[in-house]
Amino acid sequence: MAQILARRDMGAEAPRETVTAAAGGREVIGAGIEIREITKKYGAFLAADRISLDIEPGEFITLLGPSGSGKTTLLNLIAGFHRIDGGQILVDGKPVQHVPTHRRGFGMVFQSYALFPNMTVAQNVGFPMRMAGMDRATTDRRVAETLDMMRLSEHAGKSPAQMSGGQQQRVAIARAIVMRPRVVLMDEPLSALDRRLRESIQIELRDLHQALGSTILFVTHDQSEALTMSDRIAVMDAGHIVQVGRPTEIYRQPQSRFVAGFVGESNLIEAEVVARREGALTLKMPGGQIFEAEARAIVPGRIATVLVRPERIALHEAAQPGTMPATVTSALFLGEVLRIEVALEDGQTLLVRCTDTAARSLPRIGTRVHVGWGAADCWVLA
Amino acid sequence: MTDAAAPPRLSPHLPPTRPPATVTATGPGLSQRLTSPALLLLPAVLFLAVIYLMPLVDLTRISFTGPSWSAHFERVFATPLYFDSLVRTMQIAFTVACLCAVLGYPTALLIHRSRGSVQMLVAVAVILPYFIAILIRTYAWMVLLGRNGPINKLLGTLGLIDSPLALLFNRGSVLLGMTAVLLPIMVLSIYASVARLDQSLTRAALASGAGPLAVFWRVLLPLTFPGIGAGFLLVFVAALGFFITPTLLGGPGDQMFAMHITQQADSVTGEGFLQALAVVLLVITLVTVGIAGRLIGFEFIWGGGKLDEMARRPKARAARRSRRGPGTLLADALGWPLLRLMGPLLASAGLWTVRIMGGLVVATLMVPIIVVMVISFSKASYLTFPPPGWSLRWYEKFFSDSNWMDAFWNSLGIAALSALIAVTLGATAAMGIVRSRIRCKSALMLLLVSPMIVPPVVLGLSLYSLFLQLGLVGTHLGLAAAHAVGGIPIVVVIVAASLQAVDRRQEQGAAVHGAAPLTVFRLVTLPAIAPGLAAAVFFAFLHSFDELVLSLFLSSPRMKTLPLMLWADVNYQLNPVLAVVSTLEVLLVVGGIILCRPVLTRGQAH
Repeated sequence: MAQILARRDMGAEAPRETVTAAAGGREVIGAGIEIREITKKYGAFLAADRISLDIEPGEFITLLGPSGSGKTTLLNLIAGFHRIDGGQILVDGKPVQHVPTHRRGFGMVFQSYALFPNMTVAQNVGFPMRMAGMDRATTDRRVAETLDMMRLSEHAGKSPAQMSGGQQQRVAIARAIVMRPRVVLMDEPLSALDRRLRESIQIELRDLHQALGSTILFVTHDQSEALTMSDRIAVMDAGHIVQVGRPTEIYRQPQSRFVAGFVGESNLIEAEVVARREGALTLKMPGGQIFEAEARAIVPGRIATVLVRPERIALHEAAQPGTMPATVTSALFLGEVLRIEVALEDGQTLLVRCTDTAARSLPRIGTRVHVGWGAADCWVLA
Repeated sequence: MTDAAAPPRLSPHLPPTRPPATVTATGPGLSQRLTSPALLLLPAVLFLAVIYLMPLVDLTRISFTGPSWSAHFERVFATPLYFDSLVRTMQIAFTVACLCAVLGYPTALLIHRSRGSVQMLVAVAVILPYFIAILIRTYAWMVLLGRNGPINKLLGTLGLIDSPLALLFNRGSVLLGMTAVLLPIMVLSIYASVARLDQSLTRAALASGAGPLAVFWRVLLPLTFPGIGAGFLLVFVAALGFFITPTLLGGPGDQMFAMHITQQADSVTGEGFLQALAVVLLVITLVTVGIAGRLIGFEFIWGGGKLDEMARRPKARAARRSRRGPGTLLADALGWPLLRLMGPLLASAGLWTVRIMGGLVVATLMVPIIVVMVISFSKASYLTFPPPGWSLRWYEKFFSDSNWMDAFWNSLGIAALSALIAVTLGATAAMGIVRSRIRCKSALMLLLVSPMIVPPVVLGLSLYSLFLQLGLVGTHLGLAAAHAVGGIPIVVVIVAASLQAVDRRQEQGAAVHGAAPLTVFRLVTLPAIAPGLAAAVFFAFLHSFDELVLSLFLSSPRMKTLPLMLWADVNYQLNPVLAVVSTLEVLLVVGGIILCRPVLTRGQAH
């Protein structure tokens, strides 16, 4: 525990590399979860439609999706708040769908904190210990340890109502981890907090995950939060999981227009396939511009949808080989980046993001520019 | 560290909502009233001062007249008849409140946890009796428990008894009847606090490994305790002044204190002593409410709707609560080990306890009403169940008997007039309470709702001497005004709640875009509170239509209301015409509830 504390003292600014390196030899106490074809109906509405997902022991996995996509439903089914209408949930290989919530041995953090207002901070954190029938000495020791970990020691005797939102959520996290559970469920725990606080707790949670080794199942609708924190992300839409993968995979190699559009900003270009080679395509845009794209998947038809992320497009003042002429239609200064929209000659608009440097000034609207990208910057959607 | 770094949240600093002064544009009277909403309180406060406070003060003054100032009070406490009755009254009220709490909690949980049509059914079974006159519900119990009633018939048919049991006129029937009559108050009070709970709290407890029993004991019960406390007090205070139910269902040994007051009022002897009896009852009631108000806040009287002035209080209370109080210690030392013993019970045991107890309560509330409705179609000329045959003869008798019809039209006229007075005064007062920024707001609110807790017997007695002087006894206006004293609190509570729900930004939006204050009221505020106003009209009307105790004091033999006719008949001849009147009242209430449903469901959503 001393090691964890030492690392935490470095503060929220601790670089990610240190964290990952320190966690290299961590002990995994988390359980693997297998979700097999589970279904949940509310009347005629299919909230979860034969969802399957394998979660590795000790993994930080995020369910990401817009509201109404079924991610909270799935979390509640795993928690056991609702009965599933079909399928199986296995924790460490054992089916749990008939085990009541309080015997599943999970920890859970809620968006509304859900701290018991009739108990002090220490009583809230000690609640799971008492429910498990631990003796008072063990409970007190573990509560003190956990509060210390969450830097809440001086608040132990307070009532939750006397604390700020960020503090309350840290108490809720302490309550969820006090038993060192094999699985911690988190239902949008940070969305009620303001941005700075959210970012600092994100890093704190990430560290905590490394230190505990529990499996964490995290639900959010915030794609940047999902990208920052997760080992893997499961993107959900309309009661289905549409893609599961590491953050880089989800961002760079989305399997559908939905994932491409939901995670990050994207330029989706419909282009005609004019030549196919091993691992690459030559494509023609509606306006006649030709470009190359790497392609792993087989594109069946004549028309391919190509994703080019805005930061992969280069903006030039003068024409260069492989660039296309364009006109600036909008230019925004966002701080560290510039967000520029350009229109190609055929009217197709593209979004470009480039870093703010001394050499580049924000272009005026109407400026003639040239845009281009490499074959490796393209991702052809299957 | 990060918390401190968080930027302070900017809240738009809104100026006190005072429409711009337009003294020159409109007449001074109108704009004056609009610029100072506090003045809207004046009519209601004046009305209550004359027709409510003044008579009570006068009553107290008379109670001190005598050989010495305390002579009458000494007699009250020295006569075993009265002192025993006082003790008995407290015992009965306490028992009834306990019974209501024990039976009401599962029922409130049942409403909260069931869904769809089941929830609707249980909710209606609780709310419907709440609006039906106490007299009628008590009458229904007399029918149910009577010698020829369904219970005796059923037991006889099953061969369990040879001759009918004497179920009526004993302590048991008093407790049963009063509990049944007051139970809806308790259920609604507990339900309000259960529904206000964040659902994720119970989920968090479950996810922390707490079984259903532990969730109940550690989370649900402590957090809904204020609701139980409020319900307990409302029931206890109402039971203290109860008169109708113990008179009809009790035997000679079950005399409650309020009954002595009416009996003394009939025999003209005790001027001064009579008032002393009333003052004793009033003081006990007020002291109970006062202590309770200090402990849990006076909001319990009007159902928890906090005024902005009191918004600061909960914080102080939260700090106090964080220490381990005697309640927590007791719960830890006694309750928790007990609970662990029950651990091996099936997880569904709690669910079934709620379902079975809640179901029983719902049956207890509904069965008497249904039995009475069935009996109204009976062919027999006496009360018997099941009826030997069917006919509409009692409906014909009701509609053709000029006594009944006169009473009906009297009641209708008085109720309409009373509702008019109560809504006019109550709604303006509610506007004044919600919209003004005066300092003694909570005291004024307390004054406006206090008629709800003053025993009607005391109020009736005090109004009698005032009405004698003013020549109002036995007049429509007099009865309507007296009923309005009880109607105003109902109106104030409902209208204040709907006013508080109005989004002030909509009003400000209308004003910014050029609407004058009156136009804002007409186009934004009025449509928003219209459902609340409609509900207030209905409930004020119903309050007067059902009112019996004040009418007993203030009517004359020549002018009878429907409840008075019922009262006379219940005491002398139990015939099915009463069942007809009861059925008509049930239909009236059902109709009203259907009309007011939008308001009720909106209240639930909050």
